[in-house]
Amino acid sequence: MKPFTWPEGIRCAVFVSVNFDAEAYDLMSTTESRLFGRFSYGRYGVRAGLPRLLRCFQRRDIRATVFVTADDALRHPEAVRELSGAGHEVASRGQDLKPLPLLGTGEGEVLLRARDALAKIVGASPAGFRAPGGELGANTLRLLAELGYRYDASFQDADHPYLFAPTETFRLVEVPGMQALDDSLVYSARHTHARLMKIWREEFDALYDAGCLVPLTLHLRGDMGSTRAARIAALDGLFSYIASRPGVCFMTGAELAALALSSGQEPEPDPIVLHQSTLAVTPYRGDLAVKPI
Amino acid sequence: MTERTEIPVEFRCIVTLGIDFDGPSHEVGRGIAPLGIHSWGRYSARSGIPRHMEMLSRHGVPCTFFVPGYDARCHPDTVRAIDAAGFEVAAHGYLHEAWDLEEAEESRLLHQTDDILRDLLGKPVLGWRSPSGRKTQNTMRVLKSLGYIYDSSDKDYDLPYRLRFGGGKDDWMVELPNNTYSLDDFPFYKFSYTPPSEVLAQWQSEFDAVYASDRFFVLTVHPRSGWGSGTPARTRILDQMIGYMRSHEGVHFFSSAQFARWCLDHPQQLEEVTIP
Repeated sequence: MKPFTWPEGIRCAVFVSVNFDAEAYDLMSTTESRLFGRFSYGRYGVRAGLPRLLRCFQRRDIRATVFVTADDALRHPEAVRELSGAGHEVASRGQDLKPLPLLGTGEGEVLLRARDALAKIVGASPAGFRAPGGELGANTLRLLAELGYRYDASFQDADHPYLFAPTETFRLVEVPGMQALDDSLVYSARHTHARLMKIWREEFDALYDAGCLVPLTLHLRGDMGSTRAARIAALDGLFSYIASRPGVCFMTGAELAALALSSGQEPEPDPIVLHQSTLAVTPYRGDLAVKPI
Repeated sequence: MTERTEIPVEFRCIVTLGIDFDGPSHEVGRGIAPLGIHSWGRYSARSGIPRHMEMLSRHGVPCTFFVPGYDARCHPDTVRAIDAAGFEVAAHGYLHEAWDLEEAEESRLLHQTDDILRDLLGKPVLGWRSPSGRKTQNTMRVLKSLGYIYDSSDKDYDLPYRLRFGGGKDDWMVELPNNTYSLDDFPFYKFSYTPPSEVLAQWQSEFDAVYASDRFFVLTVHPRSGWGSGTPARTRILDQMIGYMRSHEGVHFFSSAQFARWCLDHPQQLEEVTIP
């Protein structure tokens, strides 16, 4: 296959993505009437975190891509409109954070409702999608294609964007992420922001030298997110360092998708098709309640 | 027969590098579709293995790739490329079975993977490493009957030894033990989120101690993304680690099969161990 190349003048692209995951996340462990105390870190992300993050992006001239569930968007329509108005891309993260493989035959209906709710608030249909928990069902790629999405950003299996062909004619871009560049894992493990920044700087330097996509995944939340004042300050330092390297280009998911679509890459086969016959006869040994195929 | 394995003085220190392919088999074997967050194994053939092969070739050091049969079936060209580049291909389960298997099922899977790799390579497979480290006496019996000359799964020692699995004269296998807590990548990247530079420092410290004592160093990494070492920063520290070891006097790099052959040629220098 033709190797992926960046356009003239770009050494590597940095994809700054934000998982909004406010109350939608807390509601995986509690109910609406109990969104207080330990279950209010999501609200922190919107009340305290978002303004701070927006100022940081503005200072560094970064346009980010924010993946938001429809439920969170409906709870915080003004925040979502503010993000969009500030030039950031608003993309979908489904209706809530329930893993899509658990939705069964209702998945298409849920994804349609989620897309339309977001479109109504933002004023335009989202181009990008990131699955709750990164969990896709066997039909998700095809459903995304049918709903007019241009890209998914849930896989973690490549150094550059690439293409799927969920239907014969439709090309869906995959903008792959990277576990090491997700703040929530390191902060969930109660590590310091100094440690996270050390990891990210090392990862960035090597990705930059190799000309790979640098997919940062931030969270708004006050517990495992990046928006507390000290964490934002650390992140701001990293952005400043990244921006100082020659040939770095910050790109949104939609911009990366457009680039991949015009790259002349051949689409990849659907992973489900490749593995379906084995999956059908293999007992499920994962963490979800039901086998996701 | 010797009481304790003696690494001969002509080898100041022996190093074997192992790369456990761990492609989509890791997820598919658990009934999980390799989509989204579960797609790390797809990185192995796409990026991790080519990147590791380029780095190893630059150093000119041998390495053994332990490949699950299912991954070989999914990525035959990658497995052939590993072999064509002069690296060893060894077996690593079929669907990366990280659970206990009944004897008959285990035997069937060991044969199945052996058939796949043998067909792809056009030559016998010589070694095996258990996915997850589970094995029994039966495993050794089946591998021996298939002509395997070594196993690299046990965690009970710092030196190679002759692992006896039966009463017959030839009922033993060369064991090249490894340690998947310290001399492996995933504990650092999956559990402790250690920065790559600190993983390098840790491995260097481990090497210094082994170089000064047992002189037998077995390092294992995975070319996948997620908790593996396929990505650029983690490949870079592996690169630096190999450079560090090469800078020491008298360090001999072997593929696992090359060193197992040396063991077979010098059985009297290996301790024989019977596990009750």
